[in-house]
Amino acid sequence: MTRRGDREATGRLALAWAGGVYAIWLREVKRATRDRGQLIGGISRPLLWVLILGIGLNPYFRGEVYGEVRFVMPYTYLQFIFPAVVALNIMYTSIQSAVSLIWDREFGFLREVLVSPMPRGLVLLGKVLGGATVAMFHGCLVLVLARFADVSIAPADIGRGLLLMALLALSLTSLGIVIANRVRSFEGFGVFSNAVILPLYFLSSSIFPIDPALTRAQAQVIYPEWLVFLVQANPITYAVDALRGTFIGFNQFDPGLGPLILAAMGALFFTIALHDFRRA
Amino acid sequence: MVAVAEDKAVELSGVGKHYGRTRALEDVSFDIARGQFFALLGPNGAGKTTLLHILCSILQPDTGSVRIDGFDLRENPRRARSRLGMVFQEPSLDDRLTVHENLDFHGLVYGVPRRLRRSRIAHLLEVVELADRRDTPVRALSSGMKRRLEIARALIHDSTILLLDEPTVGLDVQAREGIWRHVEAMRAERDLTVIVTTHYVEEVESCDRVCIIDQGRVVALDSPGALKAAHGKEIIRFLPRDEASGRAVLEHYPEVASRRGQFIVVEVAGAGFVDDFLARFGNRARELAFESMSLEEVFLAVTGRELRDRLADPREQTRSFGKRGGEHTR
Repeated sequence: MTRRGDREATGRLALAWAGGVYAIWLREVKRATRDRGQLIGGISRPLLWVLILGIGLNPYFRGEVYGEVRFVMPYTYLQFIFPAVVALNIMYTSIQSAVSLIWDREFGFLREVLVSPMPRGLVLLGKVLGGATVAMFHGCLVLVLARFADVSIAPADIGRGLLLMALLALSLTSLGIVIANRVRSFEGFGVFSNAVILPLYFLSSSIFPIDPALTRAQAQVIYPEWLVFLVQANPITYAVDALRGTFIGFNQFDPGLGPLILAAMGALFFTIALHDFRRA
Repeated sequence: MVAVAEDKAVELSGVGKHYGRTRALEDVSFDIARGQFFALLGPNGAGKTTLLHILCSILQPDTGSVRIDGFDLRENPRRARSRLGMVFQEPSLDDRLTVHENLDFHGLVYGVPRRLRRSRIAHLLEVVELADRRDTPVRALSSGMKRRLEIARALIHDSTILLLDEPTVGLDVQAREGIWRHVEAMRAERDLTVIVTTHYVEEVESCDRVCIIDQGRVVALDSPGALKAAHGKEIIRFLPRDEASGRAVLEHYPEVASRRGQFIVVEVAGAGFVDDFLARFGNRARELAFESMSLEEVFLAVTGRELRDRLADPREQTRSFGKRGGEHTR
């Protein structure tokens, strides 16, 4: 009798907590749909990168070997940069949603959640899932441009691509929360954009290929060692590489490495965020 | 033993909190009986908000223990928290969600079942007179409406203790009066203990008990009447008929009489003083009034100060950033 009562109570509690996670997730999604600024950023960013930078640099993405003009890689620059822009849009949205935590913690909604009986770990889960959902949506906005970038994605690859994007969104939202937990005062999103997102993006072999063994033309161009080191040490490099492998079939690194590093990154950042959140 | 514990909504014993070297609270111990209207009064930076944040477990005390409805905050935080309804000093509503969405969010987070949630939201919106604003985005509400909404929100779950941190700061007189009227309405229909911090002395005149805090210590704790009796003095407000009468009063009572505008205020010192005063100066007054000291004066007598300035901490820097219209804050 008591055991049955216990089980019922546990069931009710689990239901209540699932409701709480759902509420936090829903709030995050609703906020994003009502924030016109964020939406405009999510649309204009891929347009700028793909249509202007991509098309503009397209003719220069080739090397000259012994006077003979040929493409460095069997891909156009547009195709090359397209998977990276997907990653960029996910990065912006994930980190933006995560650092709203700084304001929320001091003045906003989060305070009211933190005094509730809901376990902190579940609060974090709702927040991360919500942020990642919105980031996924912004990532998909880029996929709409695939035609213009001359990228055709096989239906079978879409599922795999979405899965990788989800992993990236989850780990970056967690990373954003880890950062937010270490920042006491919020002075604008520009700081995070310039100090976190853009360095990670530019050092992820997103806008230029790094593998010197790729072609002879490139082998002659020797990158400085520090740059190669930074690119190889940056986990986002492998995320971009995995997306590139899926969307245009081009890998600079071992294709198995990308998903592995993404999963490890997600687990690591979420664990750190959880640890901080329980203590805060 | 059990019966005694059940009478107490909040028990604090030896609570202390330091921020680095700054003492925020030291050895604070008192109980709050169930159903009381309890006011924490103190100058800015006295530790009122710190104490409230410890009660709602946003802050952990360095020393001492807190029991809410008999549940220790450290040992049984979930039970304790489910009894509390908190209204923060700065509005913690989501500006982009509607009135109803904000309340529904709270109900979901506190695990209130759907049907109960729906009926309580409808009822509480009636009580705080926001029923016709159900689908208005919160950013379109006035600050008084936001406060009322937050009070309603704090009562959607089974809270028995309502914590209000400076609920009337920044509101006009009419809105302030409205807040107290609504809190009274809530108290009338459910068994509710109300704990409020404020530095508006006139707002605590009608509460059950007042706790005056200064520099992190409890300096006085009693009913408003008892505090006035203990610390307040009776005064005579005397408007002299002519300048000579005024001077005569000041000369005759040099220690207790002082000029305040066109009045002369004389502190009543001991029995028979009033009779003596009237016999001497009764016929030289244009106006004469006897007053007991207000809580305001009790407060000044006990703490010796009103305000204390301090530097802006990171939190306030963030807030001022938001006030400047900072991006991505709300």
